[in-house]
Amino acid sequence: MHESISLAKLNRIIAERIISSPLTQNVWVTAELSDVAVRNRHCYMELLEKDANGVQIAKARGVIWANRYTELNRKLLSATGQSISSGIKLLVQVSVNMHPVYGMSMVISDLDPDYTMGDLLRRRRENIEKLKLAGVLDLNRNLEWPDIVQRIAIISAPGAAGYGDFCNQLLNNPSRLRFEPRLFPAVMQGESAPASIINALEAIANDDWWDCVVIIRGGGATSDLQCFEDYDLAYNIACFDIPVIIGIGHERDITLLDSVANMRVKTPTAAAEWLIERGDRALAALDTIAQTIFTRANGIVTGCKEQLSYYQGLLPIAPFDATRRASLRLSKAVMLLSGISSRRLIPAMSQLDVMATNLATAATTAVKRANDRLDNATSLLDALSPQAVLNRGYSITRIDGHAVTSTDQIKPGDTIETTLANGTITSIIK
Amino acid sequence: MEQKPVKDLSYNEAISELGRIISAMQSDNCDIDKLAAYTRRATELIAECRRRLTATDEELAQILNNLQ
Repeated sequence: MHESISLAKLNRIIAERIISSPLTQNVWVTAELSDVAVRNRHCYMELLEKDANGVQIAKARGVIWANRYTELNRKLLSATGQSISSGIKLLVQVSVNMHPVYGMSMVISDLDPDYTMGDLLRRRRENIEKLKLAGVLDLNRNLEWPDIVQRIAIISAPGAAGYGDFCNQLLNNPSRLRFEPRLFPAVMQGESAPASIINALEAIANDDWWDCVVIIRGGGATSDLQCFEDYDLAYNIACFDIPVIIGIGHERDITLLDSVANMRVKTPTAAAEWLIERGDRALAALDTIAQTIFTRANGIVTGCKEQLSYYQGLLPIAPFDATRRASLRLSKAVMLLSGISSRRLIPAMSQLDVMATNLATAATTAVKRANDRLDNATSLLDALSPQAVLNRGYSITRIDGHAVTSTDQIKPGDTIETTLANGTITSIIK
Repeated sequence: MEQKPVKDLSYNEAISELGRIISAMQSDNCDIDKLAAYTRRATELIAECRRRLTATDEELAQILNNLQ
């Protein structure tokens, strides 16, 4: 028979070896969590390591004692929006412990939220890429809103503060806009939330009556947003055929759902305000239309009235006015005519004056010239007259009354008559 | 233009008709004989749209009641 020691003793030996080695104490380790459970305020979990293909290659039990759990959970939540829960990746500071009864476990004393945040962002990017590849990423975001948004399907946890705030804000709007909200209850945090929200979406889709879906949750800085990183839920919202508004009550956070929902607001109250603002805009548009129509109608009526009263006022004075205008036209014509006269007649008349003067001068000159010519002619005539010739000693001899110009005309015995300047001689030819 | 009762119109149809009425009224040859008809129809349409957008006290009470 072999010599043996008790199991408890062996465990104690292991424990002593482990605890005494600095390699196992306060070591920073990365691990994925699974089977996270809180019992008696202590948080128990499995720490896993997987290879690139997702095959598990290492596993260890982990625990966060109650005195550290609250603080570490808050630290992670406020930095990443995620609580310590299954599926997330952590960079934790651990010390290996060996309990005689419960065996070996990793006691977690601290964590680094930056590592989880980086992992979360990477996974979100991957999911967005996946939704894009599936061709659904922008489907809900590109949906057109109906003209009026009144029938509002709300997905929320019943009795949640955020739901109360939303309804209160919505139904007490100052313009008394009509809204018809109905609650489709769902679990809004934890691992069952995505499936529960998807169920609510299906219930809404069964009824072809809703204008939009509002997914709301009362917030606070420490709420768990992990369910809003769920791929299946994001896929369902992206494919939903009426617009989805997300108001999950987290000031800082963007989640995967914000990348697919038509509208993202910070809080449930902001979701209500957004819907009210749309309604108020529709009311204001109606007021503008009413204003335009009545102003225009008034304008037309006023215009017609003015025209009428203008005609009415015109009636008594129209005949006189017409006479006055006719007379005015007449005097204008006269003036125009006189203008023409003075422009045309005066030059013509002065031309006439010039012509008269010229005429008188011309006449005198002509008469004088004629007289002169006459005088010359008389002188010439005088010089050439037979008397003048006779006076100069010439004489005219006639026979039988005919002037004798040749000796052949006469023969002896003829009686001839010779005319001198101052008398006549009768002679007989011998 | 054939006129449906305002209650049978969708909100969008009502708003479109209001737009057409405004265009007709703003055209230079808007007939004063048609003005009364335009204005009456527009008033009905606006009232119906406003009625659909807003809720009366009774309706509000009913909605609140349904929520509980």
